[in-house]
Amino acid sequence: MTAPQARDHIEMVNRILAESQQRLCAGGEYFVVWGIGSALVTIVFQLADRSLVPSAALWSVPVVLAVCAIFSILRGRSTRAALARSSLLQREFFNVLWLTLGLAFVVDVAVSRIFAGVASAAIWSVAQAIVLLYIGMHGNRRAQVAGILVVVSLIAANFAPPAIAGYILAAGMLGGYAGFGVSELLAHDGDVA
Amino acid sequence: MDEMLLSKVRLGVIAALLNFDWIAFSELARSLGVSNGNLGAHLSKLVDAGYVDEEKSFVNRRPLTRYRLTKRGREAFADHVSQLQSLLRAAT
Repeated sequence: MTAPQARDHIEMVNRILAESQQRLCAGGEYFVVWGIGSALVTIVFQLADRSLVPSAALWSVPVVLAVCAIFSILRGRSTRAALARSSLLQREFFNVLWLTLGLAFVVDVAVSRIFAGVASAAIWSVAQAIVLLYIGMHGNRRAQVAGILVVVSLIAANFAPPAIAGYILAAGMLGGYAGFGVSELLAHDGDVA
Repeated sequence: MDEMLLSKVRLGVIAALLNFDWIAFSELARSLGVSNGNLGAHLSKLVDAGYVDEEKSFVNRRPLTRYRLTKRGREAFADHVSQLQSLLRAAT
């Protein structure tokens, strides 16, 4: 094999590896929106729990969640055509994403007597960590770091005073989940249909 | 160098499988931009060499053939790319 052939092969390998990194991409905007939304909800609950805001502020929670859900539905419709052409792996990822977050949502709503207060926020953090680490398992280093960040926030919140546990979880959601979304958008600018 | 990976298509297949557990045949063909017949022949050689695992199944009554990299294939790829890089360094 000659040097030009070797260079050609190396360049092809690098291109394929770069493309395969991009292939398992959920669209960073979902992560940004849900990361910020979940952090806002967590902070509102924490503030209300400490009586730092009037209880009426809790009405902002369904509004925030509705905005996130509406965004996801509208964005999902606009990317449906692209998703239909995506790989089995990509579709499997979306199944994992929605199953995990959907289950977390159901648990938060339907099992609120068991997972009350900061525990409901922790459920969201666990769900977000699963999604991020699943992406990380397929070679996305940023997702691995983000997932670990969310897990670290969970552990830190566990040992923190109750007065600030919610803020720590919210920081994990912002830095890990929303932060991963921002990094995806920056890395694959214009890549997601 | 590994003769099995001197083929650009076979090297591309290994690179495409590197970051994933399983990839469907159709996805590999689209990713590499090669015809089904050409890809099938190269995949058979990789399977025979023990570099790639093949799984045939049915999804919604449609046949699905998918592939994943074996440990042997991963090691061979790493060695081969390392030798390609050495060749490039020696040439420059």
